[in-house]
Amino acid sequence: MFKTQYRCLLIGLLAVLTGCGSDQRILEKIGLTHTTCFDLMPEGKLRVTNSIPLSTGEGRRPREVLTTISDSSKGAKVDLSRQTQLTLVSGQMRNILFGWTLAERGFWDDIDTLVRDPSVSPRVKVTVVNGEAHSLIIRNYSNYLRTAKYIDHLLESEIKIQTIPKVTLYDFTRDYYDDGIDPVAPIINELTDHVKVDGIALFQDDRLRMKVDVNESVYFAMMRDDFKMASLPIVLSGEKEKKELVLFDSLINKRRIRVARAGSHSFRVDIQLKVSGVILEYMGDLKISKEEDKHKLEEKIAAKITQHAEAILKRMQQKNVDSLGLGNVVKSSVPYKEWKNMNWREVYPDIEIHCATQVKIKHYGKQK
Amino acid sequence: MAIWDRLLFSFSRRAEKGLRQFELPSSLETAKSDEPVSLAHIMEQFEDCIDVFQRSIPSAGIDIVYIPHLIDPMRFTKEIVDPLSKAQDAQDVRDVLAQSNFWHASDSKKVVKGILSGKAAIFHEGNVYLVIVYGPKSRGVEQSETESVITGPHDSFTESANTNLSLVRRRVKSSHLKVVKLEVGEITKTIVYVLYIKDIVNMELVDEFVRRITNIEIDAVYDGNMFTQYIDDFPNSLFPQFLITERPDTAVSKLVSGRILAIVDGSPTVVSGPTGFFDFFSSADDYYQRWSIGTATRVLRFIAFVITISFTAIYVAVTTYHYEMIPEALILTLRESRSKVPFPPVIEAMLMEVTIELLREAGARLPTKIGQTIGIVGGIVIGQAAVQAGLTSNILIIAVASSAISSFVIPSYVMSASIRLIRFGLIVLAGIWGNFGLMLGIGFIVVHLCGLTSLGTSYLSPFAPTKWSDWKDVFIRGPFSILTSRPNQVRTNNEEKAKMRK
Repeated sequence: MFKTQYRCLLIGLLAVLTGCGSDQRILEKIGLTHTTCFDLMPEGKLRVTNSIPLSTGEGRRPREVLTTISDSSKGAKVDLSRQTQLTLVSGQMRNILFGWTLAERGFWDDIDTLVRDPSVSPRVKVTVVNGEAHSLIIRNYSNYLRTAKYIDHLLESEIKIQTIPKVTLYDFTRDYYDDGIDPVAPIINELTDHVKVDGIALFQDDRLRMKVDVNESVYFAMMRDDFKMASLPIVLSGEKEKKELVLFDSLINKRRIRVARAGSHSFRVDIQLKVSGVILEYMGDLKISKEEDKHKLEEKIAAKITQHAEAILKRMQQKNVDSLGLGNVVKSSVPYKEWKNMNWREVYPDIEIHCATQVKIKHYGKQK
Repeated sequence: MAIWDRLLFSFSRRAEKGLRQFELPSSLETAKSDEPVSLAHIMEQFEDCIDVFQRSIPSAGIDIVYIPHLIDPMRFTKEIVDPLSKAQDAQDVRDVLAQSNFWHASDSKKVVKGILSGKAAIFHEGNVYLVIVYGPKSRGVEQSETESVITGPHDSFTESANTNLSLVRRRVKSSHLKVVKLEVGEITKTIVYVLYIKDIVNMELVDEFVRRITNIEIDAVYDGNMFTQYIDDFPNSLFPQFLITERPDTAVSKLVSGRILAIVDGSPTVVSGPTGFFDFFSSADDYYQRWSIGTATRVLRFIAFVITISFTAIYVAVTTYHYEMIPEALILTLRESRSKVPFPPVIEAMLMEVTIELLREAGARLPTKIGQTIGIVGGIVIGQAAVQAGLTSNILIIAVASSAISSFVIPSYVMSASIRLIRFGLIVLAGIWGNFGLMLGIGFIVVHLCGLTSLGTSYLSPFAPTKWSDWKDVFIRGPFSILTSRPNQVRTNNEEKAKMRK
């Protein structure tokens, strides 16, 4: 009995598996797309640019850049593979760049095809380029061998110190489908010989609506999530020559959001930030070694953080993007039926949002 | 249908149901023959054997027949020639022959066999007496080359079964150590001693072991490794089902844990059973080192096993099918090293694996002095030239070399040879179906191992059937304070160590 089953299994496997012989992807014969760029062309067409790293033995070039203009991203793939001797695959993709105009129009269709492609990892980063993605990727930045890899590493290192959120294909898709939050993505920009992180793009569904400046991105990150290991330079007061500066480092942030009802269709949201950190540099009149001055400084920093955070929140409400996921907090505090009947997009701009910050200076300088 | 059955399940030479009661063969000699026991008749049997000597002592009226190179000349002179030639009259001769070391033999077959096994036959007044004067030259007890240890005893078994028996007896000073003498081989009549410790061993296993040995029907046995193949449960399986050792200390530890030993005459290897898969991964050194160090080396061996089995196969699977799995930092290096290679990865890997096996085989057959040359030539040819010529990628060389080295970490040569062979199957499977093929292959190995038995006990014990208390001496080498029980596999009634039931 048992043996018969085994025999059937083996024969079945042999029958099924013999079909897989053509599935080979021998490493040196495939073109590994590292970064794909999408740009919107004037007639509504799509310009797709792929950057493919080559090993130094092949043609003495560190990478190959292929460009085509087509109606859809999948169609572009066919055209791109015509331009190279390698079989194009996307299993090692690290980054997807979207041009500014395309991001403003919305790029869900292009992301959707990538999400549905099982070979594309959900950990691929999604990034918006302030300008044209194509022109950013085709350039060779003289200090770096492979542009695509350089950008990827740049983003990785910035993510590590919290200036931009880590947005992968998975994160983007999740936030897109979730009805209580809107997706975000980091923005990069091209300088003469560098690429620079330029802030955070906030989306309404898949359309870019608002940009958080790079200087303010830490405040945004504070409201978005808990984090560790960021640094924050703050200008406390900048009157003429008497500047009061502080560099707040090794931040640990804890965020709490509370929702209360304010009227039948409105809510009041309280965002509580608890920030603790180390003062690395301070220029000003206060003596931090004194306990009371330290508290004064803490209050000053807290006020500054609150001020910035509330400014961002106000703009987000104006643009009607809920990138912090306040909708989700509200959703979990009201009955589901009520949430279902509510149009969050209409409610959101009018809710009251308050931000309160508590700052704790753990120590200053490298020693206590 | 039958083919599948045979391939998957019917490796077994299963034990007959209903074991016979264990009977010690009282005498190996066959039934009495009616042939006359005369000097002429015996010499007729030894016709054309110029190494059979006949010596007469006319004063005592006796003739002695013996084979000079099988006896100890000193003993021969002292025990036979001296007393008999000093005898004054016929009564003296009779008195000498009445001593207990002179055995009266009445059967010609017994006499012939006695002479062949190093006895001297004394013909006197129509009677025949046999005296044991066995003592051929044999190799001294030396250090084991295949199972060397750093700490611990360095002696090893030799080709002489009696010496081997003495090596075991020296270590086990107990009357509970029982020895059964059996004979295997129609022509060679090789003596096999079966050793076990009464009250520790499960007598059913001894019964089965002896039954299998007595059932062997062959002309000749030369070695313990050969001998095991006749008593294996699954002769067609790749895995050895009896542990083979050259070390008396290992052999004794097997005895004490309730296993059975077989000492084959003429072979320096001793067979022990029942054995589990994991026994092949423990070395005597584990027990002579402190337990933490012993554990670390044992874990290292299991890691080596995994590397041996899968490293090259993973390389093949990943470079042929699963480029997604390669870390970003490695992928371009790997690509570059592969870019000059004209073959698909599976061919490339097989090429190198076969070369390594060739080198190993050549190194094993050649004398040590030339063997070193082989090592150097192989190192340069494989390590350097093959890569420069673009025949292989250097990352594959690393994979092949590390899996070859890992295979030699496994203490049992027999097991490491099996594992090296299995590796080839996995490489081919990985080349055809990628990771899926690899998993299929490993699955098949696991299924096969689960089905294997050694002397009718589970081969994967204590892993399957799970016996947690035995795990402390399988994957780790626990401190001696907790290694107090005998393994479950031997099915002993005497589980506690250091407690002998009287």
